[in-house]
Amino acid sequence: MNRKKDKGFESPRPFKLTHQVVCINNINFQRKSVIGYVELTIFPTVVNLNRIKLNSKQCRIYRVRVNDLEAPFLYNDPTLEVCHHESKQRNLNYFSSAYTAAVSAVDPDAGHGELVIKVPSELWKQGDDLKVLKVYIEFSLDQPKGGLHFVVPDVEGSMAERGAHVFSFGYQNSTRFWFPCVDSYSELCTWKLEFTVDASMVAVSCGDLVETIYTHDMRKKTFHYVLPIPTAAPNISLAVGPFEILVDPYMHEVTHFCLPQLLPLLKHSMSYLHEIFEFYEEILTCRYPYSCFKTVFVDEAYVQVSSYASMSIFSTNLLHSAMIIDQTPQTRRCLAQALAQQFFGCFISRMSWADEWVLKGISGYIYGLYLKKTFGVNEYRHWIKEELDKIVEYELKMGGVLLHPTFSGGKEKDNPTPHLHFSIKHPHTLSWEYYKMFQCKAHLVMRLIENRISMEFMLQVFNKLLSLASTASSQKYQSHMWSQMLLSTHAFLKSISNVSGKDIGPLIKQWVDQSSVVKFFGSFAFNRKRNVLELEIRQDYTSSGTQKYVGPIKVTVQELDGSFNHMLQIEENSLKHDIPCHSKSRRNKKKKIPLMNGEEVDMDLSAMDADSPLLWIRIDPDMSILRKVEFEQADFMWQYQLRYERDVVAQEEAISALEKFPTPASRLALTDILEQEQCFYKVRMQACFCLAKIANAMVSTWQGPPAMKSLFTRMFCCKSCPNIVKTNNFINFQSYFLQKTMPVAMALLRDGQNICPKDVLNFILDLIKYNDNRKNKFSDNYYRADLIEALTNSLTPAMSINNEVRTVDNLNADVRLILEEITRFLNMEKLLPSFRNTITISCLRAIRQLQKNGHIPSDPSLFKSYAQYGHFVDLRIAALEALVDYTRVERSSAELQWLLSMAQNDPVHYVRHKILGMLCKNPPFTKTTDSALCNEALVDQLWKFMNSGTSHDWRLRCDAVNLYYMLFGLTRPSCLPLPELGLVLNLKEKKAVLNPTIKPELGVGAVMDTPASIGIHGFNTMEDEDIDMETVHDSQAFIHHHLNLLERPSTPGTHTHTHTHTHTHTHTLIAEYRNTHTHHCRGHYIHVTSYKQALDNKKKPAKPGSVRRTSTSAGRG
Amino acid sequence: MADPAVASGGPLNAGARGSAGKATSSPAENYLLARRRTLQVVVSALLTESGFESAEKAAVETLTEMLQSYITEIGRCAKAYCEHTARSVPTLSDTVVTLIEMVTNAPVTPKALSAGQKRTHPAHIPSHFPEFPDPHTYIKTPTFREPVSDYQVVREKAATQRRDVERALTRFIAKTGETQSLFKDDITTFPLIAAQPSTIPYLSALLPSELELQALEETDSSEQDDQTDGENTAGNAITDDPGADKENSMLPPSGVVPSTKASEDNVIDNPYLRPVKKPKVRRKK
Repeated sequence: MNRKKDKGFESPRPFKLTHQVVCINNINFQRKSVIGYVELTIFPTVVNLNRIKLNSKQCRIYRVRVNDLEAPFLYNDPTLEVCHHESKQRNLNYFSSAYTAAVSAVDPDAGHGELVIKVPSELWKQGDDLKVLKVYIEFSLDQPKGGLHFVVPDVEGSMAERGAHVFSFGYQNSTRFWFPCVDSYSELCTWKLEFTVDASMVAVSCGDLVETIYTHDMRKKTFHYVLPIPTAAPNISLAVGPFEILVDPYMHEVTHFCLPQLLPLLKHSMSYLHEIFEFYEEILTCRYPYSCFKTVFVDEAYVQVSSYASMSIFSTNLLHSAMIIDQTPQTRRCLAQALAQQFFGCFISRMSWADEWVLKGISGYIYGLYLKKTFGVNEYRHWIKEELDKIVEYELKMGGVLLHPTFSGGKEKDNPTPHLHFSIKHPHTLSWEYYKMFQCKAHLVMRLIENRISMEFMLQVFNKLLSLASTASSQKYQSHMWSQMLLSTHAFLKSISNVSGKDIGPLIKQWVDQSSVVKFFGSFAFNRKRNVLELEIRQDYTSSGTQKYVGPIKVTVQELDGSFNHMLQIEENSLKHDIPCHSKSRRNKKKKIPLMNGEEVDMDLSAMDADSPLLWIRIDPDMSILRKVEFEQADFMWQYQLRYERDVVAQEEAISALEKFPTPASRLALTDILEQEQCFYKVRMQACFCLAKIANAMVSTWQGPPAMKSLFTRMFCCKSCPNIVKTNNFINFQSYFLQKTMPVAMALLRDGQNICPKDVLNFILDLIKYNDNRKNKFSDNYYRADLIEALTNSLTPAMSINNEVRTVDNLNADVRLILEEITRFLNMEKLLPSFRNTITISCLRAIRQLQKNGHIPSDPSLFKSYAQYGHFVDLRIAALEALVDYTRVERSSAELQWLLSMAQNDPVHYVRHKILGMLCKNPPFTKTTDSALCNEALVDQLWKFMNSGTSHDWRLRCDAVNLYYMLFGLTRPSCLPLPELGLVLNLKEKKAVLNPTIKPELGVGAVMDTPASIGIHGFNTMEDEDIDMETVHDSQAFIHHHLNLLERPSTPGTHTHTHTHTHTHTHTLIAEYRNTHTHHCRGHYIHVTSYKQALDNKKKPAKPGSVRRTSTSAGRG
Repeated sequence: MADPAVASGGPLNAGARGSAGKATSSPAENYLLARRRTLQVVVSALLTESGFESAEKAAVETLTEMLQSYITEIGRCAKAYCEHTARSVPTLSDTVVTLIEMVTNAPVTPKALSAGQKRTHPAHIPSHFPEFPDPHTYIKTPTFREPVSDYQVVREKAATQRRDVERALTRFIAKTGETQSLFKDDITTFPLIAAQPSTIPYLSALLPSELELQALEETDSSEQDDQTDGENTAGNAITDDPGADKENSMLPPSGVVPSTKASEDNVIDNPYLRPVKKPKVRRKK
């Protein structure tokens, strides 16, 4: 399966899909149901195609016809319930392997599917002329839990008046949730889509809207879409609702849709889209590949942005008016992301899951170019640093992220990511956070490639890929060109080497084929005699998530005479590098100092070491290695770096380094930066927080007014009355962001008693009091929210006499003032709600902080009421966050139950996902701590949830797995009673081990490997396929009901067992089980196949072929 | 002050009831009868004063009726005037205006109550018009306070005022509606208006409030709304004749717009703006 060696694309299926019709006749909002049919046109690629495997989940299938002949079909979805029946197994290793096996068993990339259609014998007997088959499937969906989401507000009026709408969603390839298809990114075909909806509604889907026709009763209309560009099923989507329609004023082929009443917001938010279009088309020198583009804004969206062929579905919460500052760049970023994915992801699709990184990488990379162009180089470099820090932090904490996993071998050792509690073999088994980091790493690696081959070549490669694909897309199916629209790692790398002539093999090997990041420690000494800088760079490559780096590294040294770049070679054993200095130390000569960018500046050199000409040193300044650098240099060097280095990344690094040097000189450097208007605003914002930390560390020696107070007064308060802030005018965004941030940072100041100084608190209260937005063109909701956050930051734990009940009477005077403000803000928000309820959100956080610090009684009921369905989603998340925190602090089992039941039942998928995510981040207990909350019932509940409760949402299931891992770890939860069985003989390792329910190793490794082998088998032999999934569950039923095996971990055993009965593994596996069990299995196996045959016989007379198969398999088993 | 109303109801009732009056003995009726008797006494006394020695009962009744109607009308009218000026207690001037209205000679204001020198009518006002009222009732003396020019005080005042208004308003709403509290023992010190889930929460969270909207309108009033929404086009389409439909369907899907169409300014060829077609007729019986 190593794709790198594959020349072209080999379909895992014995047929090729060319065209698919999807027709949805009826969408019932009241009952939340959908009825329709699909028709797939396929070309068999083998003689005697007798089975067609398709993907379909949760659809009820009424009939299947192949070329107008009724065809029998089997439907089996092993992911519905991962581990069957009430097994006592509760360890995560076991679950993960079973889950991976289940996903593999229906993986379209391996040619599998939930729906197996038997081609009527009349059709396959005619044999070798390989005629076209038309597979017609009628289906319905009733209250779908995944795939399609219905939003039906509970108010009076018709569905259109209520703003009811429905849209498709999913994580990765999830189209099988709403219609039967080949749910793979690599199976392309052309599409005809028809949707009949209420006359007051609009159906938006992929491709060109050819016509809209009324039904005969004139009460409904049918939207006919045609998508002539070959597209994979996962890139098909649908949105139906009473949308308001806005044709883009700049590009008439672009249409925007939003929910009723939001048209003014839509107009404003979309007024910018054409610039993004122009940018991408220009850099890629390629027209947007589809003939039209549609944006749809829906409520209760699954993710903020999801891209499909020629349309994108966004969260309605991205819409904003012209008065909102903070949301504007975010919305534009989302639009740019969506559009980048149109080119790479929708138009060009991936060949296999292992190639996902290329598409995510390219779309992320060109999105980065857009950021650079629109928001400037500073913002871009800041973003790259942020992303780099994120991935480094994640990998160091959780272990490596592997971009291009290859699953070649079948051995346990070959598991590329043994540190993870989930498999990375399928997108559907990944933890969401891992996937986010995966995308982050992918675009960073693309940037590394750009560093190596230049941006020009990079864009040429993209252009080449796009033009290849667009030529292919206009061809007929018969030309066999469509696979050119699929991108693989191999093809991408080949294209790079063709275009640039450079070998990027080592780079790919280091960052793509291998997980983890590099961790450097640097220090230096200056040798005055030799006038040489002795630099020492050490690496940590033993701890988790790290790897060894060998290769070039750039070091920039700023000396008195200028800035010099040095390329050092990191080799196996060399730690020390001698770098000759260009200038002698000469502090007396007054001369301007040249910087890297050619600028010459005057510096006060009195702070520096008289003997050394070094001002500062930077390691890997261009971030061309995925690394973390911990570099040691003197405080004055960091200060020079902060003041005079023009790169924002260097400035930010200097700021975080200065936290460790609380001196007046650091203070001065930070204050200067804060005041400097040319300095990038995000650096200045960061300087605020650093200054607060330094001030706290220097509390005993601090001179003058509290940090930043006089600065804020000078910048934002009236000249005549310095205690009153000017009326708001946010026309200058840089100072707006600074004005927002400074109070938040100031509130972190503490005096000698470790409480917030009285004048700081009064200062913030005055800011609130005198805040006046009447003359402002922009809304001040984010500013006010930040002022409340400042109040929250000023809180310190209450002085309390033991277990005193918190009442109004013994409230601290300062806290009373704070509480009064919060009450007023919270109440005013009910009358004049702010954009995205930012103020209420801040208030809820403040209240939780008051509770946590013991100022007011800890009570979850307020948060519970805000967490209810029917509040704005941001608000709910904030309330839920407070509840999660409450649950942890108070160890409340009732609240935990409340949260879990919401995670199971809430109508909004995003909220359910967030609850589990927040519980993972802030868990009520962990595997290493003891807690009364950790009990058998909870284990069972969570187990059930991830086992069967989340089968409709891959992301949610992975969230549940994460939470389970967080709470109980990989092995059997400690709170469970020990199982009765003792030792088990492990023949493979030739030793006796504890019962696998206690110790998980048994069989797991082997089971982990099997899916790959299934895949291989599925390719080659039709016979094996015939007895895979259909029999598995029947056989499990058999074991449990008929043979009555009790607490044995039979599921994965039989699972694999039945799968791979021809495999050599089987013997080892069988040996691993107790003798009796083996017997049972063997006996049972024969049973099952004959039982199956009996079933088949019921439907139709047995064919000689099937009998033969049964006997051979039975014989083998 | 309910008197006029009661009185006006009185005669009607009395007239309508007639003989039934005797049987009733409710307090209200008794009042009516008592008043009527008083008026009869007054009428009789006036008649006697005017030199009549005797009168027919019917005549006395008629005069009583007239008197009562007259008094009632004065009361009603005075009340109307008083309510017209947003007061609840009629004043003397109300009665005076009433009497003028009813073309009676207005009672002269007692000397003790008039003050200052009344203005005489200017030439263009006929003399039968009423006299000017006392000067103090219309003369204005302009007074003004020095405007507070101190910036700090203005800001201080604006801030305090806004805060007071907000606090009063929210407290009022908290008092009249459901509340939540941060303290179990004291639910009045920091009353929080209870969180009410709404059916379409995103509307209030995303749309600017009316206050903000006003400011917004000032900035971009030039925006015009020339988009037709789906329902409008749907409505138009029904009236369209099949010929027009065919013409539309001849248009290419998008992108390449014929030059004749492109020259027309406001025609945007977008498939979502095209009229909905009628179903084909062939299926109809």
